Parts: sequence; structure tokens; C-alpha cells
Amino acid sequence: MAEKKRTKVLGSLQPDVEDILDWNNLPESAFEPASTQEKESFIQDRKSVSYWKDAWRRLRHNKVAMVAMVIVILIALFAFVGPFLVPYGYDEQIRGANNLHPWHYTLEDQARINAYMEEHNNVSNLTPDEAVEQAKAEAAARGETLSRVEEAKIRANAKSSQGSGNTKVTEADAIAALGISAKPFGYSSDELQRMANGESVFPHVFGCDTHGRDIMVRTMIGARVSMIVGICCALIVLVIGAIYGSISGYCGGKVDAVMQRIVEIIYTIPEVLIILLLGATLKPIFEEFQNSGDGPLQQLVTVLGPNLIAIFIAFGLLYWVTMSRIIRGQILQLKQQEYVTAARALGAKGGRIIKRHLLPNCVGQIVTTTFLQIPSAIFTESFLSFLGMGVSAPMTSLGSMCSDALSGLTSYPYRLFIPAAILSVMILCLNLFGDGLRDALDPRLKK
Amino acid sequence: MAKYVLKRVLMAVLTLLIVTCLTFLLMNAIPGNPWLSEKTPTQATIDALNEKYGLDKPVIVQLGLYLEDLLHGDFGVSIKMQKDRPVLDIITSMFPVSATIGVIAILWAILVGVPLGCLAAYKRGTWVDSLLRVICTIGISMPGFVVATILLYLLAGGIPDWKIFPTIFVGTWQSYILPCAALGFYPMCYLSRQTRTAMLDSINQEYIKTARAKGLKNRKIVFKHALRNALIPVITYLGPQIAFTLCGGFVVETVFSIPGLGRYFVQSIQNRDYPLIMGTTIFLAAFIIVMNLLVDLLYKLVDPRINLSKGGN
Repeated sequence: MAEKKRTKVLGSLQPDVEDILDWNNLPESAFEPASTQEKESFIQDRKSVSYWKDAWRRLRHNKVAMVAMVIVILIALFAFVGPFLVPYGYDEQIRGANNLHPWHYTLEDQARINAYMEEHNNVSNLTPDEAVEQAKAEAAARGETLSRVEEAKIRANAKSSQGSGNTKVTEADAIAALGISAKPFGYSSDELQRMANGESVFPHVFGCDTHGRDIMVRTMIGARVSMIVGICCALIVLVIGAIYGSISGYCGGKVDAVMQRIVEIIYTIPEVLIILLLGATLKPIFEEFQNSGDGPLQQLVTVLGPNLIAIFIAFGLLYWVTMSRIIRGQILQLKQQEYVTAARALGAKGGRIIKRHLLPNCVGQIVTTTFLQIPSAIFTESFLSFLGMGVSAPMTSLGSMCSDALSGLTSYPYRLFIPAAILSVMILCLNLFGDGLRDALDPRLKK
Repeated sequence: MAKYVLKRVLMAVLTLLIVTCLTFLLMNAIPGNPWLSEKTPTQATIDALNEKYGLDKPVIVQLGLYLEDLLHGDFGVSIKMQKDRPVLDIITSMFPVSATIGVIAILWAILVGVPLGCLAAYKRGTWVDSLLRVICTIGISMPGFVVATILLYLLAGGIPDWKIFPTIFVGTWQSYILPCAALGFYPMCYLSRQTRTAMLDSINQEYIKTARAKGLKNRKIVFKHALRNALIPVITYLGPQIAFTLCGGFVVETVFSIPGLGRYFVQSIQNRDYPLIMGTTIFLAAFIIVMNLLVDLLYKLVDPRINLSKGGN
């Protein structure tokens, strides 16, 4: 623009005003009222784009963030809707389903495997349970029932014959020799029998653990715990950090100095040590409180679980510091702006200025920081649960599932890898979406 | 400078005092007592034990006595896990293992992470940059125990005929490799991300343009001129990373059954061994606080532009 003007009048920086002065000489007839269509198109052209719409438009073009968002939504559906679709409870011990793999062999295949092994080992290789089942079936065919003593005898026999070193041909060898391939999803032999009778049985997609609990349901519940912890902690951090930071930034002076010293001290406290201690301390305290009566507060504790509350408190005490610093920095910058001076000149009180003028203007940063707090809280919760200081049995979380699976890692690696994968993917996608959110809400920060 | 150092040191001492008091009060708030085991002792035994270890006095008096002993360098004796062994003795025998693993982990994280970050900045926009970014983002999204258990499964016996490293820590050099690799992975990814960002910041500065105008090669500009300034913010991330390595240490020590201080700290909480909880907490907290202090002072030393009198946020 400036260059254009300079070429018009050589050697002068003054704009050329001759054209504009000409406008004074326009005749009356040069003006005419706008038609309705023109008015409408005028409104159309100037249609305002709100901050959120603008951000959403930018976010939609960020492919990585959108994919991450879809995955997060899928995991959320898995965690919150899933438990209602699966007919098993997270603490329900299904009989005969102990240590079930997430694959199964059909009844015919199992019979072939057993026959093969019997043939090669000359000894029946039934597990105690199977031996009892077989004996029961035989007894039923004869029209008798087995007494408990007889059952125990058969069980003991099967156990001793199993362990007596005649394992020349193992089950794995038999499977390889017969060329049998496993079918997906786990079913206990009881459930396979029921399916053969025409009943429909919901499969154990991820198998079952040592106590016969369905791993998929437990993973769902664990993911739900993680998500609830993440969101609640982020909200706690947001509320405390926003209040503290905006007061400190807005008041300034001595108040700010004192408040910032407190922040600095909390900042230097090694939070991991304290959070471990808090986890160990608060949990039994809340458990005691929970059992002390039947008031509404006690019921709230029961609903949330004492351990989750302990984690929330730890977060509320220690993790708001970063948030308060960010908000304080923003407020310090914003309060120099003219509109704040104008509001003050009009007699607005401090609280109103913070609420109406300052906070809305740093909402982008607040939303981003809050959102990125979610994966960090999930991270911390899984760490605590892994060390055995998080949620307590029979409730579960992804971290404690990983910790439980550690002892059987060689035989049942999927028990560890399924919750670990869901946890990692969840944190990864939340991080990626948070990054996208930051780029969309505050395009100046984009690198 | 002297005033700033003094202020920071005072602050560190104050923080340590607060941590000590907080830990003491929290610890005493844990229901249950250290004498409970499979066999519940009689009330007379509990009273005698409490009296012997000074647990019968009010909490505030206990705290005062403890602080007084602490000033004389006396951390007390373990009352449960290794009965009557001085806590300081336990700490000094266990810390070297934790420290070795932590130092190796941080070192490899720096030695690999920073050059990778530079490489990503140098090759920005290419597939190398994208690949590194994917790896690093995944790396900072995996909790320490996931990395540790995956390594344990893959390289220490999970896959038949593929057992390269021992499953349980035995003290040989082979048994250090997996824990160090697992512990350093997160800081490596984090440092590499931060280096890339800092590098891109300093590449956009005027003196880089000057160097380019002078006709210097791109490689020399990136790895000599830009790197020096890019390292300054990277130093600030080191403080929190050291703390993080320590907290990752709890997990890695649990997964690999390493007889280190982190694992012992967790066990001492579960066992209510009061003097041991106090001793390890104070020791670890002091370690983290001193490290953070050193990193902060180092930061001021390498970057003379920073205003010392204003605290430094």
C-alpha cells in the first residue's frame, strides 16, 4: 500500500488526496437506497465468526488432532458404555474360567488333543476339573450323583497323575502335531458345552485372570477410573489455579509477593514423595470415615472410592501451581490493557474485572493447560496404582492391572500388554489432541 | 549473585523443613502401627515397644525430638524392616545402586536426546523430523512401568531363546542395562523434543542470519552457533527431569527387583517403619531440592542475560 502511494507522487510520502477530495462534489443523484437483496448479502458477508468457531475450524484441519480425538472418543465409549454391554461384573469370579486365554479350542479339537496325548503318554491327561466333570457325566449316565468325597478323590487322583512326570507329549506338542488352530476369544469348557446346547454365551474377548474375572470388563473399568481421575484432577487444578493465579496477578504488590513465595515453596517440594505418602495416608483415613456412618458425605465417599479421593486431594494440594503461574502471567500482561483501565474508570470492582474481562481473554491458555493436565493426571494415577498405592481391590485401574500381571508375565503377557496398550494410547491421543487444541486456540504459539 | 544464591539456599532449607514436618505429620496420621503383623502382639508388648522407641509421647514432642536428633546427623534406627539398624546406614548402603542407575539413565538421555533434537531441527520438515517426532511423542506417553515391562518381556525371557539379560537384578553389568534403558527413555524423548523447540527458536534469531550472510555452512550454523544458545533452556528442563528419573526409579526398581532406595521407600511406607520413612523421604527430598538448586544456579551462570535480582521466573 505504502509503495503504491509513493509511486503516485514521486519523492513524497504523502498520500494522494485529490481523489478523496473529489467525493465532496458528488451530485445528489449519485446516491440511491440499497435494495433488500443488497442488504441481505451485506449481512451475509459480515457474518461474524466467534472465537470458538474459528478455533474449531482450525482444529478440524489438523488431521493428527482429529484422529486423536476420534480414538479418545472410542476409548471413552469403551470405558463408559462397554461395562453395560458385557454381561460380566468387574469383580465377578466366573466358575471354571480361571486363567482363560483370549483364544479357545472347540470341543472336538479338545477331544482330539486329549486323545492324542493319551495315546502318546498312555495316561489320561485331564485336569482335575475335567476329570470331575467326566466322572459326573458318567455318573449321570448311570443315573447316580457323585458325593463330595468321591469328587475330591477323583480330583486328587487326576492331580497326582498330572504331576507324575509323564509329560513326554505336552498340550502344545499335540496341538502342533494335529495342526489345530485356536479360535479367537476365550470360553471355559462349561461355556463351550452350553454353546453346543444352543445357548448364546458372551465371549471373554481378552480372556480371564487367575480368579476367573473377565479381563475385558476389568480393562473397561480401569480405563473408566483413569478417565474420571484425569478429568476430575484437571478440574480441581483449574479451579484452584485460576482463583489463586488471578488474585495474585490482579492484586500485585505485597499480596503477589507473598503468594508467589508460597508457590515457589510448593514448586520445590518433591511432589512424588509427598503424593506417595498422601496416597498411603489418606486412603485408610477415608476408609475409616466411610465405615463410620451412613450420612450423605459417607455415601459420597463410597461412590467415589476412598483412594480416588486421596488422589484428588493430592492433586488439589500440589499440582495447581503450574496453572496458577500461567494464569498469573497472563493476568499481569492483560491488566495493562486499556479496556481494563476503562472498566476501572467506570467503577467496576476487582472481582468483576477478573471475571468479565481478564479470564475470558486468557481462556485459550486455560483450556489448553487444563486439557493437558488430564494425561498427566492419568500418568500419575497409573504410577501410584502400579506401586500399589492407588485404587484398592476389588476395584481396579489400568496401573494396578499391569502390576498384577507382572508375576505371570511369561505365561500371560497379554494380561499386561492389553491394559498397558490402552493406557499408553489414551495418554498419547490426549497429548496429541491437547497439542492440536493449543495450536487452534492460540495460533500465535504455533511453532 | 551472592544475594540470589543466599536467597535460594534459604528457600531450599525452608522447603526441606516443611517437607520434614509434613511427612512426620502425614506418617503419624496413617492408621495402624508398626507392630502389627500376622500375630497381633498384646497391648503390654505394644506399650513397651512404643516406650522403647519414643512413640508414646505426643506427636508434636516426637517431631521436636526428631528434628533435634536430625540436627546432630542422627536419623534414628529402623523399627521394623531391619530392626535396630541405623537408618543412615541403610540409606548409604542402598543409595549407590539407585544413584548409579539414575546417573547412567540421565547421561544416556542427554547424550542421545540432545543430538536427536538437533537432528530433527536440522532436518525439519523432512521424514527424519516426522519420524523422530512420532517416536518422542510415543515415548513421553508411555508410563515408565510400561517401557520397563516391555523391555523385560522382550529381552529377559518372555520370548523363548531370546534371553539376553537377567530377569532379576544380580549386580553384574548386564543387569544394569535394562533398568537404565527403561529409566532413560522418557527423559531422552522429552529432552529431544525440548531441544528441537529451543533450536528452532534460536535458528530464527538475528545472529544466525549474520552467520548465514557470512557464508557459513548450514551444518556449522546449526551444530555450533545455534546449539550453544539452544542448550540454555534445555538446562532448565534438567532439574525436573532428575526428579522424574528418581520417581521413575521407584517403578523400575520394583519391576526389576533392584535393591535400591526407591523400592525401599515404598516398602517402608507399607510397613509403617516410621524412622525409615522419615529418613528416606528427607534424604530423597534433599537430593531433589539440591539438584534443582544447582540446575537453577547453573542456568544463571551460563546465561548472563538473566536478571539475577528479580528471582527469575
